[in-house]
Amino acid sequence: MKQFVFLSVLVTAGFLFSEIAPAQDGTSLKEASRNIRSVKADFLQKRFLQILTKPLLSEGRLFFYTPDSLRWEYLNPLRSVMLQKGNSVQIYNFSEGKWKPEMTQAVEARRMVLAELSQWFQGRFNESKTFKQGYSPGPPARVTMVPGEGINRFIQRIEIVLSARPGVIDRVEIEEPGGSRTSIEFRNVEINSSFSPEVFEKP
Amino acid sequence: MIWRKSLDIFLLGFLILSTACTPPLSRKTLRPGSPEDLPGCYAIFPSEPWESVHKIEATFRGGGSFSLLGVTKGEPSERRLQSLLLTPEGFILFDAELRDGEMAVRKAVPPFDSPAFAGGLMEDVSLLFLPPQEKPGGWGKETDGTMICNWEGPDDSDTEIKGSMERGWRILRRDKYKEVIKEVALNGPFVNGLASHVELHASEPAPYTLRMTLVQPSP
Repeated sequence: MKQFVFLSVLVTAGFLFSEIAPAQDGTSLKEASRNIRSVKADFLQKRFLQILTKPLLSEGRLFFYTPDSLRWEYLNPLRSVMLQKGNSVQIYNFSEGKWKPEMTQAVEARRMVLAELSQWFQGRFNESKTFKQGYSPGPPARVTMVPGEGINRFIQRIEIVLSARPGVIDRVEIEEPGGSRTSIEFRNVEINSSFSPEVFEKP
Repeated sequence: MIWRKSLDIFLLGFLILSTACTPPLSRKTLRPGSPEDLPGCYAIFPSEPWESVHKIEATFRGGGSFSLLGVTKGEPSERRLQSLLLTPEGFILFDAELRDGEMAVRKAVPPFDSPAFAGGLMEDVSLLFLPPQEKPGGWGKETDGTMICNWEGPDDSDTEIKGSMERGWRILRRDKYKEVIKEVALNGPFVNGLASHVELHASEPAPYTLRMTLVQPSP
């Protein structure tokens, strides 16, 4: 379950922060979270690597249902989906025309990476002792999270850019030491829309 | 009658011996060809600095497979290649550089952390993107425009490339027994000199296949 902490926290915290944007403080987080039942969105991920002059682009979509159901799906260039429902976590890759469960060792590798990420994101944002938070009213409004000693070996800063539309975030920026960074832009965000629970069970 | 039987046995023996002694049919003995055809031997290898992103689907004997993104950057003049493997999320699982034959692994996450994997991967990347250092021992252009070039390796291995931009290319790596141990098919369209579709079959040390689709070519 740890391996989804990054994504879960990213999604929930991101959207919850956007929800509490009018309140402009972390203490409203829990209150605001009561209004969030589900999130559905498309995303465009831009991975900036020092080796590449142009970012590596990936497109995908996510479904989230409180408290712990998540579908984080990449559609292009690789089709891959990570499903979490409670404590159950499954990873599938679309290859040779069908969905295949991720090979055990590769899952372990990704678990390891995600576990590494999870160390950066333990706890909720507003309760985090690891990250120092800051809020900038903008526009656009931004929540900035700076990690403390240790975690800053892996991540320098997270910035959540909020949309003017209540309940929607525009993007999340994750900066790493050494110049690499990841930007995830959310589109077509739907809060509390209904969708089949099967999205968390089947690739 | 006896004479006829003896002849049959002789012919059969001759046939067996000649078959056993003949190199694989696909292998041609080449001599140095026309100097103006020589650049054709390097047509599939980028000559300027380049970078690429490939979707990689790997399958292994026994049915194991993985899909990852491969990022490669090349500096041909320095015979330098940097290669990364990333998960769909963009996490780096493997990062290594090859410069003038010397390999430096910067990051390797299990199960990609064995020296054998690193060596094998960088050997495959070299096979795909770097021509052998020496001049080919033989080359020629067939009447239909197909180039064929052969490089002898120091350990009696050899590398052969054959094809054209229109019909695609093949790279064959043979061991000292002249058995094909790696075969690569490069098919177009070619974008900035890079093949859009690459398929590599390796037979040793353990058989595997890599299918690579060009996602982002050089700028």
